[in-house]
Amino acid sequence: MDARLLEPSVLRRLDALAVLVRRAVKGQMGGERRSVSRGRSPEFADFRSYTPGDDYRLIDWNAYARLDRFMLRLFVAEEELPLSLFVDLSGSMDWGRPHKAQTAKRLAGAIAYVALASLDRVRLTVFADGPTSGGAPYRGRRAAQELFARIQSFPVGGPTNYSRLVWPIARQRPGLTVLITDGLGESPIEPAITALRLARQEGAVLQLLAPQEIAPDWTGDARLKDAETAAEREFTATPATQAAYRTALAGRTQEVEDAARRRGLRFARLTSDQPVEDMVQRTLRQVGLLG
Amino acid sequence: MTFLAPAAAALAVTLPVIVALYFLRIRRPTRVVPALHLWPDQIRDRQANVPWQRPRFSWLLLLQLLAAAVLVAAALQPALPATASLAPHSIVLLDASASMQAKDVHPSRFDEARREIGAMIDELGPQDRMTLITIQTPPRIIASGSGDHDAMHRALGRLTVSNGSADLSAALTLAAGVTRAGEQSRAYLFTDGIVEPLHASFANGLPFPIEYRRVGVSGENVGLMSLVVRTSAQSRAAYLRVHNFGQQARSLTLEWRSDAGLIDLRALSLQAGQAQDLVLPVPDAAATVTARIDAKDNFALDDSVTAIARTPRAFRVLLVTAGNRFLEQALRLRTDFQVDVLAPTDYKGSTAYAMTVFDRFSPPALPDSPFVIVDPPSGSPLAGGKAVGIGRVRASDAGDPLLTNVTLQDVRVARSQDMSASRFGRALITSVQTPLVLVRDEPFRQVLVGFDVHDSDFPLRIGFPILVQNLSEWMLPPSVPGHSFHPDEPVTIVPESGATSVTVVRPDGSRRQLATGAIATFADTDLLGVYTVEQTAGGNTDRSWFSVNLFSDAASQLAPVDRLALPPAKAFPSPQTTHHGFLGIWPWIALLALVLVVAEWLAFHRGL
Repeated sequence: MDARLLEPSVLRRLDALAVLVRRAVKGQMGGERRSVSRGRSPEFADFRSYTPGDDYRLIDWNAYARLDRFMLRLFVAEEELPLSLFVDLSGSMDWGRPHKAQTAKRLAGAIAYVALASLDRVRLTVFADGPTSGGAPYRGRRAAQELFARIQSFPVGGPTNYSRLVWPIARQRPGLTVLITDGLGESPIEPAITALRLARQEGAVLQLLAPQEIAPDWTGDARLKDAETAAEREFTATPATQAAYRTALAGRTQEVEDAARRRGLRFARLTSDQPVEDMVQRTLRQVGLLG
Repeated sequence: MTFLAPAAAALAVTLPVIVALYFLRIRRPTRVVPALHLWPDQIRDRQANVPWQRPRFSWLLLLQLLAAAVLVAAALQPALPATASLAPHSIVLLDASASMQAKDVHPSRFDEARREIGAMIDELGPQDRMTLITIQTPPRIIASGSGDHDAMHRALGRLTVSNGSADLSAALTLAAGVTRAGEQSRAYLFTDGIVEPLHASFANGLPFPIEYRRVGVSGENVGLMSLVVRTSAQSRAAYLRVHNFGQQARSLTLEWRSDAGLIDLRALSLQAGQAQDLVLPVPDAAATVTARIDAKDNFALDDSVTAIARTPRAFRVLLVTAGNRFLEQALRLRTDFQVDVLAPTDYKGSTAYAMTVFDRFSPPALPDSPFVIVDPPSGSPLAGGKAVGIGRVRASDAGDPLLTNVTLQDVRVARSQDMSASRFGRALITSVQTPLVLVRDEPFRQVLVGFDVHDSDFPLRIGFPILVQNLSEWMLPPSVPGHSFHPDEPVTIVPESGATSVTVVRPDGSRRQLATGAIATFADTDLLGVYTVEQTAGGNTDRSWFSVNLFSDAASQLAPVDRLALPPAKAFPSPQTTHHGFLGIWPWIALLALVLVVAEWLAFHRGL
């Protein structure tokens, strides 16, 4: 099952990428990320006056010779990046050709793999009506297969409730949070995006749609059934109704994008017929999420 | 308002059917969509397979009901009373002669008449019938007693105007023939009044009254009225007559050309009503000559005329006689005859001669060609009984065209063979005792004279050379006559001896094949211009020409006739009734239905 999520050839090409953050992060463990804390690394950061209790091994004796007072050399600490992935597995994602939920899982797996390969810490959460944790944070390349298996194991279905993401997002330590969703739930996505901002998360919203919902390929009479709520309604598709639907969809996706950009989040619109490798190598690099 | 098709009201059943269809529900396939709230609330039934649903207001239903109601209304064919006064059986006589091509009314008199007749057809009631006859030579029944508007319109639309004359008498005779006894009929005569004089006897009146609907307003026209080519010993010249029939002086240019090219251009000025004769040169090599004027008048048919300039081919004629100066001189009077004289002993038979005259001699085998045999010797196949004394002679039929200008009153015949028992043919000249001159058409035109011309004073009378001329022209008409014919006038064409094919090429290039074995009558002369007769014999193709020109003072006069003398109608036992015609408004209602259907289509696409 793991192998089916992402092929080895794709993983090999992902090795060359890294998750990008705009500012330094503070993790719990050493990593390859520049930390807001000063620590041990070859990269000089600053000087400060010595106060009792400081590690005297950091005293710059050359500065003492010139200034006649104790100065400490400060170095950039390199720490891990806390990456949180929130993957929408609601009923609306259980749709499309290719299947949106499966594509979302593959996309989350790919981003997670890039992070794990850079010794970053990855926390996985799937959500529909509520959030479901993907287990303890994953760290290191070896954890990738475990994460893949876990993400594959989640069922798909249920309504979307973005407001119930507020708490799990808010309790995140500052870091990077990626939200993969179609943004089509009846509840507004605004609370979740606001929570990202308040949690001082560098965020990215990746909206994933199926080609058939962007351009419906059917006409005529139908009984429409909502994939999330199972609500039904009789309907007759005409050129006018198809145009009205496309307008509503465009309005909804624009709302999601505007909400993300207003709060300084990165945003990308993806379609499920796009190869995951193409999403990662092209789209996510263009929006500055990977590099 | 009247409904011409009240039975169409049954179509109103479609209205409840449409409503019923809206009450039926359709069985819809279920489609799962990711976000139902993005789809507009749009329900429309286009297909029904579940018995019932709650009725809803729908603009589409309303528009469909309206369109169906309007279509039903159109099918009822509502009509308003029109101004025309129609009889139950309307007989429309449409002049399709040459003068109806005049363009003094737009687009032409013929088209204007057709437009008026089309309006009459539209006004026919459901029980009315119409017969449409074109007045031409000969007249034609286009539609007989039809009440089908569409069929009548189609028949009217297919009509074309001819270049010939209008035989009103024949058309009225036809019209009388299509009228049923006791039927209420009325004839409507659409013409400019330029018709042939009535020749049929309508003394008892016609079984219908006639309304004269005059077409045309103006007689302004300049026409070319005749063109002949005369050949003299010295030269050839053409004689052309130009006539201004209008009320205004006209200046115009005459273009004179042969088949080889332009010969001359002349400026002409003609006072109102003035005719002018012109003598024009004809080149030796010309086969045809054409005169054309740029009259810019209302009538184009007489603005161009053509004449044949080539002299006819000569016939070879053999006279087999021991000596007959009277016959020989009479035959030589024809300029297109080349006469050879042979003694009976020298005659061996020949196919080189178009006609042979045997005088007091009968060959062992008579030729298969036109011949005249005079006083055949006893024992020969055509010889009659023993000689009888005659005295005075007379014509068997005084109106026989072969005796035109032949006076027999002072002719005496001393004796003649008794031809009473002869089965040669019909008698042309006869006597109390016996027929004297017999003629027959089959197998060739041939003449049998029962007496020796020397036993008569006939050769000394002026009638003799005239009779010989008449008989020789009848037996040997020119292969192709070179003079001009009128449109639709039949042309007699005598195939050349040995001709394997005879084809007439009309002015429009179309070809007509004629039989080769016998004298043919060619009647497809409706087009004006030069007709070429191509005869193929022994691998060679010989061409000759004749022309067809309007040359009709009556047609060129062009001024429409205000009062036309028409036969009276019979006295009817009951007064003739007419009723107002109907002005059909269903096309407008159908147009409204179309608008409603378009509106329904737009409403559907706008999701109403």
